[in-house]
Amino acid sequence: MALIEPPGAAFRESFVEADGFRIRFVEAGEGLPLVYLHGAGGMHPSREHDLLSRHFRVIMFEMPGFGRSAENTRTRSMAELAETVAKAADALGLDRFNLMGTSFGAKTALWLASQHPERVLGLVLESPAAVRPEVPRPTAGSPEELAQLIYAHPERMPPLLPPDPAVAVQTEALVGRLRGSARDLELEDRMRNLAIPTLVVFGTLDRVIPPEMGRHYKALMPNCHLVFVYDAGHMIGAERPEAFAEVTLDFLERHEAFVVSRTETVIFP
Amino acid sequence: MKVSYFETGRYVSPPDLPREWPVPAGSYDPDIGAEAYRGMVERVRFVEELGFDWVSVSEHHYSPRILTPSPVVSAAYLAARVEKIKIALLGPIVPVSNPIRVAEELAMLDTMAPGRIVVGLLRGTTNEYLSYDLNPRESRERTDEGMELILKAWTEPQPFGWQGRYFQYRTVSIWPRPQCQPHPPTYALGTSSEAGEFAARHRLGIGLSYGTFELMAKSARYYREQCSRYGWEPGPDDIIYRANMILGETDDAAEEALRRRDKQAPFPVRAGLRDALLQSDITRNIAGEKRPANVGGVLPISFCGGPDRIVEQLRRCREEVGAGVVDLSLQDPGTGDVGVMMRALELFGTKVLPRIREI
Repeated sequence: MALIEPPGAAFRESFVEADGFRIRFVEAGEGLPLVYLHGAGGMHPSREHDLLSRHFRVIMFEMPGFGRSAENTRTRSMAELAETVAKAADALGLDRFNLMGTSFGAKTALWLASQHPERVLGLVLESPAAVRPEVPRPTAGSPEELAQLIYAHPERMPPLLPPDPAVAVQTEALVGRLRGSARDLELEDRMRNLAIPTLVVFGTLDRVIPPEMGRHYKALMPNCHLVFVYDAGHMIGAERPEAFAEVTLDFLERHEAFVVSRTETVIFP
Repeated sequence: MKVSYFETGRYVSPPDLPREWPVPAGSYDPDIGAEAYRGMVERVRFVEELGFDWVSVSEHHYSPRILTPSPVVSAAYLAARVEKIKIALLGPIVPVSNPIRVAEELAMLDTMAPGRIVVGLLRGTTNEYLSYDLNPRESRERTDEGMELILKAWTEPQPFGWQGRYFQYRTVSIWPRPQCQPHPPTYALGTSSEAGEFAARHRLGIGLSYGTFELMAKSARYYREQCSRYGWEPGPDDIIYRANMILGETDDAAEEALRRRDKQAPFPVRAGLRDALLQSDITRNIAGEKRPANVGGVLPISFCGGPDRIVEQLRRCREEVGAGVVDLSLQDPGTGDVGVMMRALELFGTKVLPRIREI
């Protein structure tokens, strides 16, 4: 019987020194680099990343202050955090790369792309948190409440583990400090001038950030494509990995041309 | 209470027509078909004059029983020929349709006849899936996803892509958008828990059909519970009940018509095919309680009597089911004498309709 590896098992852990931080990262796959920035819940390689790593060299950075890294009291803004990630990419010799982020990490990715547009080949924003409603959605306490919030169908997903209390406190303080207001006008000004091919993806059942927020990116950014993944919540790639990876890979390969269908419909030649 | 007349395109079948679905296309008589569509306009003008609130049209295929394979074409035809009456498409069969096309065509209709279009989104009966080669096992999920996509196409102001399970589009940006904002009055049609939940989540109405008051009340109760869960309360107009009615001058006359009624479906599905369809369509339910699919069977009569008894039955329907709109056939589609139905419509319009407005 063939053994099925758990999601993310192909990713290998390493560390890189950058901007005064010792940054943990995991990577898998070969080809053009795809830098991935996680959400406020930390770095969790999953099936979506496995699928992406079949086509790209996927490098997932654990941003300083998250997960197992030391507490980060130094970084003052998203702009600073993005500069730190850019330096980590430098330290790995990544000159030009595709860039993808989820939620909080998507906002970080937007900052990085606006700071170093010449380095980013294509930008993928999964459930991005850069434009949020003025009235925030309720937050979760227990792992069960969190699962209800981040998944469209928590009953189909493996249970979330309770977070390490020390990590949770540290992360909450960091995210609270860096996340910024619902509308970051400085970032939005930068987005208006950001011509990098950008894909914004929202799940139709996102309960953390309303999928209607997607239209703001499309309106602000000159080269932005908006895609809804049906029946997915905030963690799109975890819930519908094949659907998410297919559109992401197609976009990263073809950019604007990905709207031209290559699906063959012939039944019998 | 509002009243809708279910217009089915009365094709008066000759007695030698093959009585099996699908009915051979070669048996179609163009002259009878043309008369059926001319009559459609006459009937709708008639019920408009009588004060009916809506006329409803539906989607059915491959038989003269209901001669309207495209409800959008029916609605456009009628919208150009009558002035006041609302036209309810109950409705496009979503799982066999291109949802973007449905969204576009309904937005066109809503713009051409502003304020007069009502939309019902339907999963459809099982034999209809043969018409466009749909696997019945996929019908539930295709319906749910298709309905979601239609609503998104109506309401999303920016071009978007759709990465679904059954539908995939890289660019959607419809013109025109609906005249009614955010969209025309819309109902999810069906008694299932899925239809009730979907309607509640999107603040849509629900359309129930043909079951007993008790069963429809169960479905309506489920819908209201879901609406409450999503933080809103539906009104009477949010629940449609489609049903067959036999209305006579007296109770005895109606009972006699009920006794004479043909107990066989006009164009039944052959037994082997029916069994195969039943085996592949196993998710039908009323508010979560499993039920067999109806494959071309005869549909029950929900209302029967003279005007007084009908008024009482409608009152009971309003109280028990909660329906604020009844969508009525006063004669089984595909059967009988159109003249008899017209007399029943007139009787309804003059002796029943004025007495049920306050129900």
